[in-house]
Amino acid sequence: MSNPHLVLLPVLVPLGGGIIGLLLRGHHRLQALWSLGAMGAALAFSLALFAEVWQRGAPVVFQSGGWPAPFGITLVGDGLSALFVVMTFIVMVAGVIYALGSRDAVVGYPAFYPLFLTLAAGLAGAMLTGDLFTMYVFAELLVISGTMLTAASDDPYGTEAAFKYYYMSLMASFFMLLAVGCLYVAYGSLNMADLALRIAADPAAPLLLPAIALLSAVFMVKSAVFPFHFWQPDFHAAAPTPVSAMLSSVVVKFGVYGFLRMTTLLFTAQAPMIRTILMVLGVAGILFGGLSAAATHNLKRMLAYSTLAQVGFVLVGIGWGTSAALVAALVFAFNHSLVKSAMLMIAGFVASRAPVKSAAFDVVTGVGRALPAAGCLFFIGGLGLAGIPPTNGFISKMLLFRSGAAESHIGVLLLIGSGGALSLIYTMRAFQQVFWTPAAAGDAVKPAGDSLLAPALLIGLVLLTGFWAAPLVASAQNAVGWMLAPHIYIHAVLGG
Amino acid sequence: MEFLTALSIGMLFAVGVFQVLRRNLIRSAIGLILMTNAVNLFLLAAGAYDGFIPAYANQLEGTPSDALPQALILTAIVISMGATSFIFAVLVVISGRYRTSDADAVNGLKR
Repeated sequence: MSNPHLVLLPVLVPLGGGIIGLLLRGHHRLQALWSLGAMGAALAFSLALFAEVWQRGAPVVFQSGGWPAPFGITLVGDGLSALFVVMTFIVMVAGVIYALGSRDAVVGYPAFYPLFLTLAAGLAGAMLTGDLFTMYVFAELLVISGTMLTAASDDPYGTEAAFKYYYMSLMASFFMLLAVGCLYVAYGSLNMADLALRIAADPAAPLLLPAIALLSAVFMVKSAVFPFHFWQPDFHAAAPTPVSAMLSSVVVKFGVYGFLRMTTLLFTAQAPMIRTILMVLGVAGILFGGLSAAATHNLKRMLAYSTLAQVGFVLVGIGWGTSAALVAALVFAFNHSLVKSAMLMIAGFVASRAPVKSAAFDVVTGVGRALPAAGCLFFIGGLGLAGIPPTNGFISKMLLFRSGAAESHIGVLLLIGSGGALSLIYTMRAFQQVFWTPAAAGDAVKPAGDSLLAPALLIGLVLLTGFWAAPLVASAQNAVGWMLAPHIYIHAVLGG
Repeated sequence: MEFLTALSIGMLFAVGVFQVLRRNLIRSAIGLILMTNAVNLFLLAAGAYDGFIPAYANQLEGTPSDALPQALILTAIVISMGATSFIFAVLVVISGRYRTSDADAVNGLKR
């Protein structure tokens, strides 16, 4: 059964849900439950899209308004985008569940849940669209929702962090528009499949290299790759817990998605150059992020720096660019989203029980001794970040190292191996400080705080994908099979 | 004419970059607006020299102009309008909280 409208639903359902959520602003509980329902429905539709793509064995393409491909706005669900959208909505549903049990003031604001839904819609739309300008529009939706949620954070520095980030991302969106302009002047099309054909036919256009450079910069800002990362720890640490769990896990994957599309669809001829840059920056990010995470003084900030390192691993996988390495990069991105969102939620949970609401180590030291369940989850999550069995982090790191060893990239393997050891050091140091060391005298743990349900669900998934990784790896292999044969995507979009 | 357009867009962009790098937050927000306009003009220039009569207008002789960059700019203008108003809203909050518009004094996260 073919139903191209399926690819529209993961975007439209959260968007419409957000609008209806705004109408329900007077009824807070109803609005929250409605948002959970809308997000859950979006997850169900994205799973249905994934199943449809898997069964059909071809990308699901929707031409909006019935305009044929290079002229209308195209939405494409292929293996890559369907997998990433499923990942997005799994984490987003957990985020809404966390927000339902959160005691922050920010979740009580009438615009919180609608903005959360538009955040999800922006991310899903940016990943499903087959058109560069539509991608820009959805990326703006994503950025504005995320920034507003952070600006309203309980953390007094939320506004400052949001302001900083917004400057960066406005620059990034200027760059994206410039890249769109360059590509349009050079090739007269913005549909990615059409562009891929035209670029392959005429790789000598003078504006092609500027467009590649600008787009790379855009995606580097979006996923906080090493030289463009400086806003990221501030922004992710100051955001409200449910939001920071989204920003640091799935939202940074938008840049990863962009790089995957750049190297395997748009600029296949120039891909070796992009890959080299990504690999160098990825290794730099792994080392820098790991060292900064080991040196920082705040639990949430440590996890934000750890995102920098973990995205570095994904970029190294994209940088190697072989089929096995790309599979490893996809699996790594998926698993990192689950682990990192769970860890940030546990950090937020601990901070909500601390005497002062903060995740700074001098405040939360010893708080975890009274919270054995959180300690247990944090320990498993820490193993996941460090890549130790039986968690899914082990699967992703094993795939990545194996793909590197197959190509005998020994130097890079040594560097990223030491980066991986750093992640063990900082997670275990944090575990020891928060859940092991006795608290200073006089600091009482608050009797009630946020709910632990959402991180427990995510850690359950972490263990599940650790024990039973075959379906995830198989779907990543399927997606990579299509990515390495871009004519499938192009043919599905343009028809004929 | 093409050269003049390119030069003026480049100058507008340069002035925008210069303003963005200023220490005063309000000036730098104005720099962002200038850069937005420079980018929009760049997009307009992308489709400006192909034809000079309106697209989809009947009974006119000549090459119709490309309508797509104009549609892109309309979208970009709407988005940048929202972005600018949001940036100024955040600036209002920051100026109330820190009592300054000096970028170096807004450094609570560093401490």
